[in-house]
Amino acid sequence: MKVFYQCIAVAVVITALAVAFVPGVDEYVEATAQGIVGSWAR
Amino acid sequence: MNIIKRLLTIVLCLLLIPATAVVTAAVKQRFADGPNRFFSGGPLIAGEMHTGSEPDWSFVNDITTIELQLVDPPRSRRIWTVEHEGKLYVWSGYMGTTVGRWWKGWPPQAERDGRAVLRIDGKRYERQLVRITSGDALDGICKAITDKYPSRTTRGGVEAGDVWLFEAAPRT
Repeated sequence: MKVFYQCIAVAVVITALAVAFVPGVDEYVEATAQGIVGSWAR
Repeated sequence: MNIIKRLLTIVLCLLLIPATAVVTAAVKQRFADGPNRFFSGGPLIAGEMHTGSEPDWSFVNDITTIELQLVDPPRSRRIWTVEHEGKLYVWSGYMGTTVGRWWKGWPPQAERDGRAVLRIDGKRYERQLVRITSGDALDGICKAITDKYPSRTTRGGVEAGDVWLFEAAPRT
């Protein structure tokens, strides 16, 4: 499990950096979140 | 029991990744000049502030979305708008569901303090949001909304509180 936790920690950091700095990633995340929340709200 | 606990831990850890993506995107947008599409943005900074007489709002009927910022709290979002009989209207749907009320936090805030700034085509307008809950004008406003958008907004929906409708009136 220790390796799994380390992998998750690395994935979380990479995800945060990608969303923050890679163009287009935040757009993708926003569009996906909008679709999911929009369907829940109906 | 141990296996279930471990599986639950794995699932929660995996969910941490999309949750991080959403939180990061939301925080990033909060520091931006205006909203994008879903997450609230920061205050509307750029753009000339309109001064002078009341504009002819009919031009907004050719615009799909505008940016709306409340003065308190100073956060902005992208919303639909419509003009009807010379007045400008904004609204929020989904207010009849728990998820909708959680998602659309701005209508109760606007009801408490209606001071707002709109940015339309790069130009900013200081307005006062005034909630409309009843009245015959709702028929015409709702028709204007459904003519412009794929929306099922009805007078009954507004009166029932499923849709919160505001006139973006001149700031007094």
